[in-house]
Amino acid sequence: MSRKTKKRLTGALRFVILAFYLLLVILPIYWMVVTSFKTNAEIINTQAITYWPKEFTLENYKGLFQTMHYGTYLKNSLIVTLSTAVVVTFLSIYGGYGMARFKFKGKTAALLFFLITQMIPSILVIIPLYVMFAKLNLIDTYVSLFVFYTITNLPFCAITMRSFFERIPYALEESAFVDGCSRGQTLWKIVMPVMFPGIVAVFVFAFIGAWNELIAGTIFLNTQKMWTIPIGLKALVGKYNVDWGSMMAGGVLALLPTAIMFIFVQKYIVEGLTAGAVKG
Amino acid sequence: MKKKAKHGGMSLKTRRMIQPYFYIGPVLLLLVLMFGYPLIDSIIMSFQSYKLSKPNDIAWNDFQNYVKMFADKNFLLLVKNSLVYVIASVAGQFLLGLGLALALNTKFKGRGIYQSIVFLPWAFSAFVVGLLFRWSFNGEYGVINDLLQKLGIIDKGISWLGTPGLSLAVVTMAMIWIGIPFFAINILAALQSVPAEIYEAADMDGCGTIRKFFSLTVPYIKPTIIMTLLLRTIWIFNSFDLIVIVTEGGPANYSQTLPSYMYSQAFSSYDFGLAGAFGVLLMVVLSVYALIFLKVTQYDKAGDF
Repeated sequence: MSRKTKKRLTGALRFVILAFYLLLVILPIYWMVVTSFKTNAEIINTQAITYWPKEFTLENYKGLFQTMHYGTYLKNSLIVTLSTAVVVTFLSIYGGYGMARFKFKGKTAALLFFLITQMIPSILVIIPLYVMFAKLNLIDTYVSLFVFYTITNLPFCAITMRSFFERIPYALEESAFVDGCSRGQTLWKIVMPVMFPGIVAVFVFAFIGAWNELIAGTIFLNTQKMWTIPIGLKALVGKYNVDWGSMMAGGVLALLPTAIMFIFVQKYIVEGLTAGAVKG
Repeated sequence: MKKKAKHGGMSLKTRRMIQPYFYIGPVLLLLVLMFGYPLIDSIIMSFQSYKLSKPNDIAWNDFQNYVKMFADKNFLLLVKNSLVYVIASVAGQFLLGLGLALALNTKFKGRGIYQSIVFLPWAFSAFVVGLLFRWSFNGEYGVINDLLQKLGIIDKGISWLGTPGLSLAVVTMAMIWIGIPFFAINILAALQSVPAEIYEAADMDGCGTIRKFFSLTVPYIKPTIIMTLLLRTIWIFNSFDLIVIVTEGGPANYSQTLPSYMYSQAFSSYDFGLAGAFGVLLMVVLSVYALIFLKVTQYDKAGDF
C-alpha cells in the first residue's frame, strides 16, 4: 500500500468513527426534542411512528407551566442549586489551594479520605441525615437539600480545584510574597484572576451535580410546593400511563441550563485536567 | 521583626506549620463530620430494628437485618444483576470513551464544536436520560422497535422493558451512554499531557502505531485510567436512580440491583435498619474491591498519592 492511500484510509476511518460518536449523542436528543413538539394523538399512534411532527404543537410545554407547576419546581431547583454551587465553589477554592500548595502531615490521609467519601453509598448518609433533619424540623426545607448536595459534591470539586491550582506556576505567588503580600491577599488578588476558568468549571460541576439529583430530593421533600424539577417529573411517571409529550418537554427544559453551561466550559475542563496530569 | 508582631507573636516556623490546615482544615472538618457522623450512625442502625413507623421499638436485634438481607430469596439474583450491570456498564463506557479520546487527540476543523456536542451527556441527569431510554424502548410506541423493524432485523415489536434480561440491558445501555464523556474527557486530558518528543524519538526508531500506543501512550495515561475506572465502578455500583426511572427493577426484580432493591424494599417502607444493612454491605464490598484494585494496578507507584 502506498503512503498516500494509507493516509487516505486512516482519514476515512477517523471520519467514520467521529460520525458514529456524533450520531450516538445526537439521535437520542433529537428524539426527545421531536417528541416534545408532537400532539398526544401522534405520540401514541402505533400505526405510524413519525420522525418529524406532523402537527407541530407547544401544548406540552404550556401544560407543564399551566397545570403541572413546572414554574415552582424550576424556582426551587434554582434556589437549591445556585446556593449549593456558590458554597461548594468557595470551599473548593480553599481546600483545593491548600492541597495544591502545601506539603503537610496527613496529606496522603486527607486525599485518601476524599476517595473514601466517594465509596460511601448515599443511602448511609441520607438515612441519619433524615432522622437529624426531622428532629431539627428541616424536612421539607431548602436547607436539607442544600446541606446534602454541598457535602456530596464537595470532595470531587475540591480535588478538581486542586488540579486546576497545580497548573498555575508557583513563581507567580512567590513574586507577590516578595512584594509583601500575605498568602490570603495573594490568593484572592493574584491567583484568582488566573484561576477564573477553573473556578467556572468547578461551579458548573457543582451546579450539574445538584441540579440533576433525584433520590435525596424524593426523601427530604414531601410537599409539592417544595419539589425540584427531577421530583416533579418523577411524580408524573405513572405505573402504566405516562404522558410522554409532557415528560419529554419537561426533560428538554431540565437539560437546557446544564447543557448550555457545559458547552461554554468543557474546553476549560480538558485544559485544567491536562495541566493537572502533567504535574501528577 | 515587624511582621512577626503583626501575627500575634507566633514564630514564623509555627505559622508555616499551621498555615496549610487553615486552608484545608475547614473543608476536611466539614466532610469528616458530615460523612463520619451519618456513617457511624447508620452502621449502628444496621444492627438495630429501626423502623420509622415504629419509633418506640428501636432496639438491638441480633443481626436480624443482616439475616433478613442474606436470606432474601432474591439475594443471589441481586448480586448477579449488580455484577452484570457494573461490569458491562464500566467496560462499555471505558472502551467507547477511550475510542472517543483517541479520535479527538488530533487537530481537525470544528473540533471545539464537535467536542462540546459529544461530551454533552456528561451534563445530563440520569433521570432525564432514564426517561428518554424508557420512552425510546417502549414496547408499543417506541422508536427502537420501529427502527429495527424498518431495517428488517426483527419482525414484530419486542417488549424490551417487560422481558427478563432485556430490561437490564436497556438500563446498561443508558448508563453507558451517560458515562462515555467522563472517560473521554479524562483520557483526552491525559493524552494531551504526553510529551510530543517521546513520539518523535519512537518515530525515528521506526515504531509502528500499535506498538507506540501500548509501549508509550498506555504507560503515560495509566494513572488516569486506573483512577477513572475505580471512581466510575464505585459510582455505578452505588447508583440506582437510572434503574428506578427506567424499569423500577422490573419485570419481577430481573433488573433490580442491590442498591435499587434496598431503595424499593427497605427504604420505601422506612425500614432504616434493613436499608442500613444493605448500605454496609455495599460499602464493605467496595472497600475490598478498591484495595485489591489499587494493589493489583500498583497505583501507589504510578499515581500521586
